Amino acid sequence: MRRLALALLAVVGLLAVAGHLIAPHDPLAQAPELALRGPSWVHPFGTDYLGRDVLSRLVAGTGTTVVAAVESVGAGLLLGVLPGLASLWFGRGVEWLLLRGSDAVMTLPFIVFAVAVTGILGNGLTQAMLAIGVLFAPLFFRVTRAAGLALTRAQYVEAAELFGASRWRVLRTHVWGKVAPTVAVTAAQATGGALLAVSSLTFLGIGVQPPAPTWGGVLASDLGFLAQQPWAPVIPAALIALTVAALNTLADDRGLRAAR
Amino acid sequence: MSTLLEIQDLSVEYDRHLVLDGVSLAVRTGEILGIIGETGSGKTTLARAVAGLAPVRGGRIAFDGTDLTALRGRARRAWRRTGALQYVFQDPLRALDPQHTVGTIVGEGLAVAGRQRPAEIATRVSDALTRVGLDPALAARRPGEISGGQRQRVLLARALAVEPRLLLCDEPVSALDASNRNHVLRLLAGLRDTAGVTVVVISHDLSSLAGIADRVAVLYGGRLAEHGPIGDVLAAPRHPYTALLVASAPSVRRERAVPAARLRGTGPGYDGGCNYSARCPFATAACATAPALSTVDGDRAVACHHALADLEFTS
Amino acid sequence: MLRVDDLRVTVGAEGTEAVRQVSLTVHKGESLGLVGESGSGKTLTCRAVLGVLPPGAEVAGGRITLDGTDLTTLDRRGWDRIRGGRVAAVFQDPASYLNPSLTVGRQLAEQLRLKRGLRRGETRAAAVELLEAMGIRRAEAVFGQYPHELSGGMLQRALIAIAVAGDPGLLVADEATTALDPAVQAEVLELLADLRERRGLALLLVSHDLAVVAQVCDRVAVFYAGEIVEQGPTADVIANPRHPYTEALLRVASLGDWRRRDLAVIPGRPPEPGAYPPGCRFAARCAFAAERCAEPVEPSTVDDRTVRCVRAGELALVGA
Repeated sequence: MRRLALALLAVVGLLAVAGHLIAPHDPLAQAPELALRGPSWVHPFGTDYLGRDVLSRLVAGTGTTVVAAVESVGAGLLLGVLPGLASLWFGRGVEWLLLRGSDAVMTLPFIVFAVAVTGILGNGLTQAMLAIGVLFAPLFFRVTRAAGLALTRAQYVEAAELFGASRWRVLRTHVWGKVAPTVAVTAAQATGGALLAVSSLTFLGIGVQPPAPTWGGVLASDLGFLAQQPWAPVIPAALIALTVAALNTLADDRGLRAAR
Repeated sequence: MSTLLEIQDLSVEYDRHLVLDGVSLAVRTGEILGIIGETGSGKTTLARAVAGLAPVRGGRIAFDGTDLTALRGRARRAWRRTGALQYVFQDPLRALDPQHTVGTIVGEGLAVAGRQRPAEIATRVSDALTRVGLDPALAARRPGEISGGQRQRVLLARALAVEPRLLLCDEPVSALDASNRNHVLRLLAGLRDTAGVTVVVISHDLSSLAGIADRVAVLYGGRLAEHGPIGDVLAAPRHPYTALLVASAPSVRRERAVPAARLRGTGPGYDGGCNYSARCPFATAACATAPALSTVDGDRAVACHHALADLEFTS
Repeated sequence: MLRVDDLRVTVGAEGTEAVRQVSLTVHKGESLGLVGESGSGKTLTCRAVLGVLPPGAEVAGGRITLDGTDLTTLDRRGWDRIRGGRVAAVFQDPASYLNPSLTVGRQLAEQLRLKRGLRRGETRAAAVELLEAMGIRRAEAVFGQYPHELSGGMLQRALIAIAVAGDPGLLVADEATTALDPAVQAEVLELLADLRERRGLALLLVSHDLAVVAQVCDRVAVFYAGEIVEQGPTADVIANPRHPYTEALLRVASLGDWRRRDLAVIPGRPPEPGAYPPGCRFAARCAFAAERCAEPVEPSTVDDRTVRCVRAGELALVGA
């Protein structure tokens, strides 16, 4: 199972980097006379309402989608893990403040927040994903805290303190090595979630200007032509679902292995 | 003899409960002092307080003139980095980072002190491992890969690597069987004899201490009951609790001068008085006031109104 | 009462032999101590007697009979009848053998109901009485307390109460006092000795501490590397050991001697299961080893003493 997941993610990764080079046709090339055709040798996934090759659009759109997802997870990591560690080490006051901050962010509704941010900061995918990143931060904050809380009272941490080690040193040598695996697992899961988020946002038309291809965008346009091509949405949907599943499989497996 | 560690009137409180109540004790340079007491006597708290791991509510702890209780933050870290005082934890499983190798663990104190280059540290680590009777090749293993007895020695090696002047060992041999126990105790005695290291050993097992300690202090309920040269104290205890411990110690020779049963009793527990009175068969009305630690016979001190003179313990 | 004949226990997937040729008897009202280092086989033997060998370990030979019942061929139901009623056990860490969410009294009452067939109304009084008999002074109060509220010594007494609730003929104590404070240890050992006298309870005590065994047991069996190297009346064995390992154990044991002395050690380590030499297993660490010791050794019994040593008759060993 794990190898399958890794293989799929490798393909997705490859496409993300080099998709626009591999795509058989120009994803932006329109050919109205070939609109809404079914799968054929020339167009394995058929064409969309403007006669663009669906396969090429999906392949080329991988990059945008994946980068956006990674961006948001990255933002979440930064905004969550560092405060998480800080809350453990810098005393009650800091801890309280950070906990309340995290609670506040967790109350914000997801898509609405993203829409609001892009409304304020301008409609770019990066802005939207940073907004999603902020919403992810509490997750990383809590996970880091949970993993680290038990460690703050560990005897080997006390032993290090008795040698006169600074808090930073203790964090670096004793705590990080134990917190990092949990954070990594959470990050893998979060990437799956972020992917769904990107797809949802681009589905709604937020963040990406047409005609740039994204998975969610393709899905959206497919739904508009459900009558003519009922099978069409299955393809981008499946792509999204499989990638998320692969990420979760990897996360589960890694989590299980760390637990052993 | 000069005093290396001076504990004056130390009190420690956890959750509004007084775990240590006005304990005063002096540890002399180059001696091995044993501290005995049951669970709840405060012996571990005493060691942790000296190491700086317990909240001190009152009193003073001085190491070679330096007031440890007044050290905070950066000053405290700087003092700790000198490595003069080392605390050896009780449970090797919890006190060793499972992700680090033995080499990293033993060298941690030196690495933190930052006074030596990695090559020197490696040599010192090898030395320390050899001193505790371990093969230096063990440095590449992780705690989970070695035996319990070896882990105990790694704990000791970690403390020795920084060349301490005072070693505080919390139950260093409780988890070991008789032969391994004696190995480690001999090691500690060797440190005193050849390297002049002062050692404080906390234990609930009398006989292992008796082999190597110079003096012993008996703790009960957070207070000092008795202290003095170990041979004298154990052969002729003055405090009823010490007498009970001596009589209770299992021995291969079955005859006993005084059976433990005679030393057990329920007395009136005086609130604010002697904290042992509830268990003492010799308690009288005088015990309603807490007895002070008073000197007896030169080098011994007892906190008991009745300081037993009529029971003899020879074995 | 209990009779173990030529017991052989193997562990692990490959059936590595861990215990062999172990024969011992415990008569009614008698106490036998099993002493040895960790890994010597004493615990595995004790577990085999109770039918609680760890996964992977099994009885590969020999017989264990309790008053005529063959314990080696019992099924689950057979064991349910035996345990608690004819043989009971207490182990090292009392807290882990009690349900933390039930009061001590309830757990004792349950045992009384199951084993003595008492009805619900009667169990409370019987339980309190039993706790008192175990030396617990405020038995009424303790009845209603939870395990975490009691000290190690009290918990162990409560467990002993649960063990004897079913009026067993044999009590097995596996390192039962090892984790207790010394003053409490003495009390619990006295309790066990007391139970022997008052109830005629036979006792099988396992300990790594020879001093503990010396205090409570009439007879002792010394284990080393999966075999019994010496067996006999405790006082005799201690005064006149016939096996070098027994002598070594006596040298490192607590003598109750309070003078400063050179602490003795036994150099080397015992062999691991699977790496046992063909001859005497103690030879590598033995001060008296001769060439003959490389040959397989059989135990020999003379005057109620069994020794597994080819040089037993000729050595002048020092006792305590």
